[in-house]
Amino acid sequence: MRPILLKGHTRPITQIKYNREGDLLFTVAKDMVVNAWYAHNGERLGTFDGHKGSVWSIAVDSSSTLLATGSADNTAKIWRIRDGKCLETLEFNAAVRKVEFSTDDKYLSVMLDNHMGQKSEIFVYRVVRSGSGSSEVYRMVRPNVAEHGRATVQAWAYYNKYIIVGHVDGTVCQYEFSPSDQQQSGSLKLLKSKKIHNDEITDLQFSADRSYFITSSKDKTANLVDVETLDILKIYKSDTSLNTAALVAKKDYIVVGGGQAASEVTTTGARQGKFEARFFHMIFEHEIGRVKGHFGPINTLSVEPNGLGYSSGGEDGFVRIHYFDDDYFGYKYDY
Amino acid sequence: MVNTSWADDQSEEVLNVPMVVSDQDGVKVIVEYKINDDGRKVKITRKIKTKTVQEKVNKSVAERKKWAKFGEEKDQPAGPNSSTASVTEQVFLKLSQWGEEKAEEEDASLKESLASRQILCRLCQGNHFTAKCPYKDKLGTIQEITAAAQLPAKDGSAASAATSPMMPGVGGEKKRAYIPPHLRDGGSKLKSPEPSRGGRDEYPTIRLTNLSEDTKEPDVQALCRPFGPLARVFLAKHYQTGVCKGYAFVSYYSSENAEAAIKKLNGYGYDSLILGAEWSSSDKK
Repeated sequence: MRPILLKGHTRPITQIKYNREGDLLFTVAKDMVVNAWYAHNGERLGTFDGHKGSVWSIAVDSSSTLLATGSADNTAKIWRIRDGKCLETLEFNAAVRKVEFSTDDKYLSVMLDNHMGQKSEIFVYRVVRSGSGSSEVYRMVRPNVAEHGRATVQAWAYYNKYIIVGHVDGTVCQYEFSPSDQQQSGSLKLLKSKKIHNDEITDLQFSADRSYFITSSKDKTANLVDVETLDILKIYKSDTSLNTAALVAKKDYIVVGGGQAASEVTTTGARQGKFEARFFHMIFEHEIGRVKGHFGPINTLSVEPNGLGYSSGGEDGFVRIHYFDDDYFGYKYDY
Repeated sequence: MVNTSWADDQSEEVLNVPMVVSDQDGVKVIVEYKINDDGRKVKITRKIKTKTVQEKVNKSVAERKKWAKFGEEKDQPAGPNSSTASVTEQVFLKLSQWGEEKAEEEDASLKESLASRQILCRLCQGNHFTAKCPYKDKLGTIQEITAAAQLPAKDGSAASAATSPMMPGVGGEKKRAYIPPHLRDGGSKLKSPEPSRGGRDEYPTIRLTNLSEDTKEPDVQALCRPFGPLARVFLAKHYQTGVCKGYAFVSYYSSENAEAAIKKLNGYGYDSLILGAEWSSSDKK
């Protein structure tokens, strides 16, 4: 396959996401730019301008009308995708680390970094749309989630039942989300927590039905975890610290990305690199293939929702869109 | 036809308007004549086949394709911009059960074996390549002289022991003329009676001649089996028709059996022909 190389950022990519149909790809990086691309040919649809700091996170709703971004300038913004207009700016007193729409697009959760002695927090907003795709937001809950150290990742489980939060010490916590009757407020209650990694959790992505999720960690493993019990279902071992892991749509594969941190590249031994995306069989935990390409660690991976390909964003500032060859679809794992 | 490329516009040597012929099944043939840089007239034939592929996409996806660009891309023309998107070189995803771990292990073991292999200088036995030997100029010439002196001395075991205690073979080999493999070791291999017949002649073999054309291998087996167990039966057949060529080789496990077979079968009347039986040529005893 010949990947499409996107050169829309000048600093390390922090997160990339496909929309639900997989025709648009949204990328954010530490250079304050938010880009939207047509995934099939790499044409840039536009940029969302307004952030004044590194953009850490991006979320797109299921109808591809609203986009949410979280930035180190202590704001989260909601944009209209169609014309790049900023509809809302939410201000906080710490950097926004992760934003995520709920499964029904009704809520937006915003997770804050640890900052100046302030603990990580999660805000849940209710997003109200009017006809033209504009929105109003209501703040609902604001629990302190820093029990296990800084929170690094968060995502919504099925039916908006839980918010799963990953921490710097390798713990995942399961918060039950319950909105009030008027839907003007709600609560997040900690139900379970489990230490599933020995080091920082770097990414958390859900399966299509949101009944299980995959986490990646700096302890060189990726885990498949059940959302109800937080039990580890599968463990994928790598030889480098992982920055991201994703479940491949339509096939029983997972893909992980990582590599030594850029600051450590010169201090390590002969076999540098390991900047490949690695494919594992989801069930047998075997590595089944690798894709080279990035000149630095892979920071973020996103899988095309129809299973036709995947995209990766690296510390080198490039985004690469991959579409699988025919032999990928013809391959059968022999067991 | 209008030239769309500016490069074509500049050259006025277009001899005639390109001839376009569309044939059935949608192949368009464009023939044009040009004079190239060497002043020669060249005929350029281009065949273009256009094929319309209809692809059904989600309605919302189709709608999004028509969206106007915004932000930094505002008012930019449609289509990917080469400054922000490019197609990179080919990368491969080869899915296999064992991933690339194995290949890597092999790679590592190869490196290890290479690392453990000692590098030995042919001249001074130092731990470096011969080309980098600091004594290359001195030792190299000395060795050439001593090697030349050795040549007249017959085999010179004493002389060689004195002058080349270093690498036995390696130093002398580059001076020695090429010897074909079968002449090496004093041509001893040439004298060996059976040069590599693959062990099939370990068994005593007899040759049957004057077989009839209708003879098949089972017939020969039935004929020879009474004298002892057979190691091998070969019946010469025409490669196309499969008709017997009139002779066969039969190997026994013991030479007594073979001898008995020769005695009995030589002059034996078989299928209205008188058989001949003898030791096969390489098995003459």
